[in-house]
Amino acid sequence: MRIRFRTYFLKQALRNIRENLTVHALGLGTMTSSLLIFGIFMLLFINVAGWIHGWGNSVSFSVYLKDDISPYRRDKVDSFLRQLRGEKTLRYISKEDAMADLKKTLGRHDAGLLDRLSSNPLPASYEVFFDRAQKQDLDPEALTSALAKLAGVADIQSSEEWLNDIKVIIDTVKLVSFFVGGLLCLCVIFIMTNTIKLTIFYRKAEIEILKLVGATDWFIKVPFLLEGIIQGFLSGVLTLLMLGGGYLFFATKEIQFFGMNSLNLVFLPLGHMALLFSISVALGMIGSLMALGRFFKV
Amino acid sequence: MIQLFHLFKKYGPHIALDDVNLRITKGEFVFVTGPSGAGKTTLLRLIFGAEKPERGYILINSINLTRISRSKMDLLHRKIGFVFQDFKLLPRRTVFENVAIALEVTGEPTRWIRERTRRTLELVGLEDKEKVYPLSLSGGEQQRVAIARAIVKGPMILLADEPTGNLDPDLTREIMALFRSIHQKGTTVVIATHSRDLLEDIPYRTILLQRGKLSGDTCA
Repeated sequence: MRIRFRTYFLKQALRNIRENLTVHALGLGTMTSSLLIFGIFMLLFINVAGWIHGWGNSVSFSVYLKDDISPYRRDKVDSFLRQLRGEKTLRYISKEDAMADLKKTLGRHDAGLLDRLSSNPLPASYEVFFDRAQKQDLDPEALTSALAKLAGVADIQSSEEWLNDIKVIIDTVKLVSFFVGGLLCLCVIFIMTNTIKLTIFYRKAEIEILKLVGATDWFIKVPFLLEGIIQGFLSGVLTLLMLGGGYLFFATKEIQFFGMNSLNLVFLPLGHMALLFSISVALGMIGSLMALGRFFKV
Repeated sequence: MIQLFHLFKKYGPHIALDDVNLRITKGEFVFVTGPSGAGKTTLLRLIFGAEKPERGYILINSINLTRISRSKMDLLHRKIGFVFQDFKLLPRRTVFENVAIALEVTGEPTRWIRERTRRTLELVGLEDKEKVYPLSLSGGEQQRVAIARAIVKGPMILLADEPTGNLDPDLTREIMALFRSIHQKGTTVVIATHSRDLLEDIPYRTILLQRGKLSGDTCA
């Protein structure tokens, strides 16, 4: 393509945008909003997947004791846990400590509700944390069943158990968001197609004259295609900027997830940013091509 | 050279052209005349390649328009200028832009386009109006812009459909003088008109159409 043509096409595309600024601004706003929703899902998954991966590297157990456990049986449970192989952290949480922890988690305002209870319903428990290096030597299922056989143990929860539960939820949400993402992409294409259709309609007289003076179909079509690409480009940049702004805002806050404090937020990796940007540009181009293909009979 | 062989064209039940045979040699100045609905505009549109006939064929410099591809037709349009009765100017483009648009499609350098457009505007006497928008021009000036756009690319054929239909006698004379000067430079000029005055004033070959049939040719 000659440089002269390239300059002309770009000028025409920018002129089209300038002359249909309202239509393009509305299209850009809707496109950016849709991509922003998609980007938020992406950001959420990157972070949740990171957290799950982090938690998955270690194993922990909560061993809940019966309220009427005798000191002897409690010592038995204690010594059983201490004799387990590998580097570990063992912490005993009394009924009082459990209540204090819950009050702290609920905060000053909601903690008052617990004061109305006639007795403390929370059980005493042991928390056992095995570090990452021990994970492959452990059999969580075997350990759980061994602990369940000990007298005075009411219940055992392993981190593997709820990690699996979270993974199932995350997988389901992932599937739903792929579906939603697909729908959003269709919406963006629809918006783009209509934006370009309006521009084509606006330039109908000029297109007619261009054909009369010998313009080829592509000479007429390329500026519209560029319009879609420019809109996709702008939308991609805006989406990334807004996601970045949102990230900076939330990264400075203390985030709780499943009762866990101060989760580290990460922004989209470069590859994901490039993907989001490419999707935006591609959707702009597809929208333009559809408008040109279906409604541009020159 | 323009050659038409057994041309037949209809719009629904209405027959616009019926078995028209015609030969216009290179550099000729021809009037196509006849009453309204005689088929003058259809004839010009067929020569321009804007429409295809139901039967018959058209040769422009030995190129068969009925079999030509779309891309070749686009290239051929660069060699044929068309002046419309309603001017077909872009109201939101300046006079200069309206004329230059015909050269933009060729991909020639900007400087060349600028010079050529200015020269053409001088030729039609609109050199001081290049930054003006068409709607602020008089009818005659708008017609001259339309002519400038048709001739700026140096066409081998210039077709004009009722180019003086909306103009007063003084402006008509002015516009016809312009067509004659273009013709003198070697361009084949075909003008469709129903104005008897125009035909009486200017002694060129005249083709008469009636109800889609060729019923007279001063050259024949």
